[in-house]
Amino acid sequence: MEDVAWVRRGEITEIVGRPSSGRTSLFTACLRAVTRRGAIAALVDADQTFDPASATRAGVDLRCLLWVRCGGRRDLALRAADLLVRCPGFALIGLDLGEAPPRLPLTLAFRLKFAVERTETALLIVSRRRVTGSGASLVVETERKAIAWVGPGPVPTRLAAARTSARVLRARRPPAALPPEWWSA
Amino acid sequence: MSRFACLWVECFVAAAVERSEPALRAAPLAVVAPAPSVTRVVDANPAAREYGVRAGVTETEARARCPTLVSRPFVREHVAAARHALLEAALGVSPRVEDGGAGLVYVDAAGLTWLHGDPAAVGRRLVSQARGVGFPGCRVALAGSRTAARVAAVRAAEPVMVVPPGAERAALAGAPLAALDLAPDLVATLEGWGVRTLGELAALPRDGLAVRLGPAGLRAHDLALGHDRDPFCAWTPPPFWDEAQGLEWEIDSLGALAVVLDAVLGRLCARLVAASLAADALDVRLELASGGHHARAVALAVPMCEVKPMLALLTLDLEAHPPAAAVTRVTVSAHPVRARAGQGGLWQPPAPRLRDLVAVLARLAALVGPDNVGSPRLDDSHRPDAYALTAFAPPDEPGGAGGERTPRPDPPLSDAHRLVLRRVRPARRVAVATDDERPSRVDGQRVVGCAGPWRASGAWWDVQAWARDEWDVALGDGTLCRLARDLTTDGWSLDGVYD
Repeated sequence: MEDVAWVRRGEITEIVGRPSSGRTSLFTACLRAVTRRGAIAALVDADQTFDPASATRAGVDLRCLLWVRCGGRRDLALRAADLLVRCPGFALIGLDLGEAPPRLPLTLAFRLKFAVERTETALLIVSRRRVTGSGASLVVETERKAIAWVGPGPVPTRLAAARTSARVLRARRPPAALPPEWWSA
Repeated sequence: MSRFACLWVECFVAAAVERSEPALRAAPLAVVAPAPSVTRVVDANPAAREYGVRAGVTETEARARCPTLVSRPFVREHVAAARHALLEAALGVSPRVEDGGAGLVYVDAAGLTWLHGDPAAVGRRLVSQARGVGFPGCRVALAGSRTAARVAAVRAAEPVMVVPPGAERAALAGAPLAALDLAPDLVATLEGWGVRTLGELAALPRDGLAVRLGPAGLRAHDLALGHDRDPFCAWTPPPFWDEAQGLEWEIDSLGALAVVLDAVLGRLCARLVAASLAADALDVRLELASGGHHARAVALAVPMCEVKPMLALLTLDLEAHPPAAAVTRVTVSAHPVRARAGQGGLWQPPAPRLRDLVAVLARLAALVGPDNVGSPRLDDSHRPDAYALTAFAPPDEPGGAGGERTPRPDPPLSDAHRLVLRRVRPARRVAVATDDERPSRVDGQRVVGCAGPWRASGAWWDVQAWARDEWDVALGDGTLCRLARDLTTDGWSLDGVYD
């Protein structure tokens, strides 16, 4: 996971930000890094927003990905994540809570934290705002900086790329490497 | 040289009941069956026999002799399952075993010393196997013939007894005639001659026996000498594996039923382990107080012989499909398969153990529905968001169809950092104002940049034809999204948000 060395096993990492700020692209890069080396990843998708076609283009090996769709039920998403973090062997478990993340009770946050410590799993939470409080070892906020349009004439015909920045909001230790900035469309 | 072992379980019918309810081993137990006019004892354990409780006495008489007697009804399946379990346990030691009747298994021990050590070690191994399937009071004797081994096992004081080669006649000499299961009229004739033991029978002149008693007398003489004349009939395991539990009272809660299932699965798994097999599916049949039954078939996804994950899967299935009435009887059948031993690659990334993974998948399916758990697979179509959710099966079989779970070559660097889409499912209809056929406002939001259109169509040969223009649009609030204009209805929808 050279590209995503900032995500550590046995810890909770949160990616927060506004829509179109690059949260999901950053998360998908982590999925790519895990599944490309043959490890198993799981995604608990509260709002069923995962796009397999985009993920495949980003290099994710879908055969190594377990996708759990929760149909908008965030309570189910939290319970599904709670089940998965207790199963040793998953290299990465993603929990996408979407634009309206619930408030996690402190007990649940620490329950998840202790579970991932025991199973040596990386739990990556993607949401609009922080949900685990001090349970997360690293919190990264993404923000979009620019959009690059291209086209043969004065009117653009294609979205070329988006530039984002990542800011560390909380880190128990300094992150190993910063996430990339440019995302090609 | 022929060597045989005899595995013997005393009071087998009672032992079969104790195998189902181990707590009864400490109590005087009688197995009873209703006769036409009265309930009679079929078998009793040694503790009950000390009080004089024997097969054939009425239950009332048995209770008069032993006030603390515990009785259980005779269940044919219990005895059949216990008999199979004993045979399968013996199969774990030798490939050639013979079913000698209830509680009696003959084992061809020729050559087993190469595998297990001296004859006493073979005997200890058999005892260990039998104890593993629920017969702690079993005894084993090894001798040069099956008859000598059986008589020695019945008379042995220790769990394992070895009759040295050539000493069979001496070992049998003190045994009574009843040890041979001879015909009653033959026994009466011999007793009329004053013959009481096998040693006395063996000392009779063979020619005189042949003249007076014919072939039956010669056979009895051979047996008393420790010679087997009957062929060894090797037993092969049947193609089904059942375990059952009758219940004294009705069970109407899943928690209590799980306790019973745990015990039944424990016995079933012990049998599977003894035969080096695993189960890939379980059939559960619950007999109900209403007179009906509730049957479930549970696929285990991966062959296993551990009680815990099996119990979790059965419980989850019964939670999803509960029986309609209280349960009075539980039967579990396993589909046995030969478990393939395997070892992961030294540098293979860690993965969930299959039995853990199966249990987690079952729990997730119970939580969010079986249609919402799996691995996405893209359909071979240009239709937007065309995918299917398939059963999650990570490619972990070396050389299998899925290929080995090894790192894939990295794609070009440009693919590494791709902007991905967050889908809006179902696509949300939006009101779009256009300016020179380009979106200018989306639901009142000003468009600050857009690119397109990208036209796509498909299935034009079918009733499900589709055609659309796609636009990438940046809105005034900073959202970068993908809009689609359906060319058949001229409606606009929000496909997703780039994020």
